[in-house]
Parts: sequence; structure tokens; C-alpha cells
Amino acid sequence: MSLFTIAILLLLNTASHAAENTAFPDLNLKDPGSLQEATRVLEEEINLAARPQTYLLIDLVAHTIHIKGRGVDLHRIPIIAWSLKIPEAIKGTHRLITRPPIQRRKIDPTSSLEQQPISLADMPMDYTLSFTPALTIDVSPALEDHPFQWIVARGTSWWRQFNAWLASLFTDQSPPSSPALTLEISSEQAQSLAWSVVDGMPLIIRRPATTHK
Amino acid sequence: MIRISTTFSSLILIGLLAASVPHSSQTILPRSQTPPHPQPDNSSGHHLQSLQARYKLLSARLSRLKPNQPYILVDTARNHLYVKRQDVIVLDALASTGSGTILDKPGEANDQWIFDTPRGEFRVQSKLTNPAWVKPDWAFIEEGLQVPQNPADRVEQGVLGDYALGFGKGYFIHGTLYTRLLGKNVTHGCIRLNDGDLKSVYQLARIGTPIVIF
Repeated sequence: MSLFTIAILLLLNTASHAAENTAFPDLNLKDPGSLQEATRVLEEEINLAARPQTYLLIDLVAHTIHIKGRGVDLHRIPIIAWSLKIPEAIKGTHRLITRPPIQRRKIDPTSSLEQQPISLADMPMDYTLSFTPALTIDVSPALEDHPFQWIVARGTSWWRQFNAWLASLFTDQSPPSSPALTLEISSEQAQSLAWSVVDGMPLIIRRPATTHK
Repeated sequence: MIRISTTFSSLILIGLLAASVPHSSQTILPRSQTPPHPQPDNSSGHHLQSLQARYKLLSARLSRLKPNQPYILVDTARNHLYVKRQDVIVLDALASTGSGTILDKPGEANDQWIFDTPRGEFRVQSKLTNPAWVKPDWAFIEEGLQVPQNPADRVEQGVLGDYALGFGKGYFIHGTLYTRLLGKNVTHGCIRLNDGDLKSVYQLARIGTPIVIF
């Protein structure tokens, strides 16, 4: 390999490292609120990236869901729209309690028919992910993609909120204080996310500075 | 009375519906609320500088956790295997991964095999040439056959291709006779590749190379 080639490779390597050194390229470095949130998320992520595991980072500023491992982006999912209730209650790392249910097919050894495997198409498009500490994420496809499923997902979410509010009226309990995130993503990406999450998977959320002041 | 109650409930429901309608994030969270710059006094300036320094320090620390050596990335949803060096894709191969089907264990009421490819981070633990397949119990049971008593009856040659890379608990990256099924979820948890891609992965990977599966 010639010296020139080595020099070019070194230059490219240095350039790529320089670009990687900014964890959030969209960050406004002059806004203390955004900086505080970014450092909080980075502190959490460093703890997660130090271990041999995959984790989720939902970046509400960049409208992206990242599936990551060791700080590397494994897969990115664009967010079409989102809303977040009680954002100030989001602290630290949340862990997924259970992944969305899968309709697995059973192999019958007595049958000569080949059993169909599960695929992305078998995964749900709208579902709720529950985390600990308490956090729920309602995932649904975009209204334009699947209007019926969008209405069903919204209706389920509203019904849950209505019941919680009603229960708080009659039982002297305060209304729920846990955060709830609603995500609209494309139907294919919703299925991809349902496929990729695993029980106990850690999650961190980066919020816009205006939501948690 | 019933009508009043119904009207009241409807009003509450409409209120909740209105409050819950998802907007685009920009509608909910006007970015203009964020002060564009901090107050220009000395204390806030110092605070801002220390936040910026902390952010850069943490960014660099996270960057150092990224693998420096080549690593294998497996996307089980889309059935692709990549070999990556930092952000550069060195190899992009069509693969077959776990079918997600289940098989009851005979004689055990609530026990089953689940044919998923495991998710998470693993390491290449072994590199084999001309591997033989030592068929596990499920390979016989799913075909309705008796599990052989003689271990030699479990060995099958020529079905795993020229190479195999083990990553623990009996899971391997190996070759296949069924190349038409590449790109589909059809395996019992192992990762199948065609002969050419398998040879490249074998040459690029070393013992200890990380394998990240999602």
C-alpha cells in the first residue's frame, strides 16, 4: 500500500471520528435547557452502551427512534408525529416489561405440510409498550396509511385515559402521574419496531427542552 | 335525568378526545418557546460553558465505546447480515434467520422449543472448516422420528457448508443447501448464508469478533 493511500485512509478515519464526536448533531449548543437534556441522555446512554446489549433511544427532537448497541446505530425509524403527557416524569432508563404478542405457529410432526414461519407481516401495527418505571408508549400507523387502525388505536388510548380519570373521581385517588408517549410511525416501521424490541430492553428518551422546564 | 347524565358524559368524552388528538410535535411544542440564547451575564455564561464542556466530554466518551474492530450485524427482521468497520459496510449479505415457530417437547407438558435467533450482543467463539452437523433432539422430533441412542447417528456431513462460526449455546453462522430460502425466516435459530458470503465472513471475522443481532 502506498504512503499516499495510507495518508488518505488516515485522513478519512480522522474525519469520521470528528463527525462522531457530536452525539446530537441537531443540538443547539447555546441553549442550556437542550444541553442539560442532551447530557442527561448521554450519561444514561454511556451506562447502556458499556454493556453487551441492544437498547432504544427515542429522540423526540430529531423525530427518530434508534435501535442501538455499544453507541452504534443499528436501525433508525422516523417518527411522523408524537405527543407526550407528563414529560417531567421521565427520568433515567426505562425497561420494557413485555414485547407485543406474537402469534407463533406450532410445528406438527405428524403433518407433511410445512409450517409457515413468522415474518414482519405478522407483527402488529398498533400496540402499547409498557415500561418500568411506569411509562406507556402507544404506537400506531399514520392516519393516511391506515385510517381504521389509527382510529382504533386512538380510541383505545382515549378509553384508557377516560377510565383512569373516572376511577380517580370515584376513589379519591389522584389522576395517573406516569408519562405516556404516543408515536405515529409508518405501518412497516411499526411492525419493524414490534419485531425488534425484546423483554427487558432498556429505553431512554430525549425530550425537547420546552417540554420539561 | 338520564338525558342530563348522557350529555354530561358526552361533554367529558369530547373534552378528553380533544385533549388527546395527536398533533405534529411542532404544534404541541412550539420551538419558539425555547429562548434562543441564555442571558448574557457572567454566571449563566460560565454555566453554559461548563454544560458545553460536559456535553463534549460525554460525546467523546460514548464515541470511544463504539467498536474499533470489524463487527457482524444481523437484522433478523429483514434477514440481512452485515460486516461493518465503524460506519462502513464491508459486506452486505442476504441471510436466513429464526422462523419463530414452536415445537412441543415430547413428555414435557409445558415445555417447548422456540426457534428464534437470539437477540443481543455475542462474540465469535469458534471458527470451523467443513463442519458436521450434530443433530439435536428437535431435528428428529419435528420430522416425527425417534431420537437415536447412538451419538454417531446424529452426525450429518455436508449440510452446513464449508465454514461455521459459533457464537454460543449451539448457534452458528453457517452455509445452506437451501439458497432459495435466503431472505426468509426459516431456520431453527442459526444464521444461514450462501457459500460466497460465508467465506467472506469467515475470512473477516476472528475469535472474539462482536456479533450484534436485533
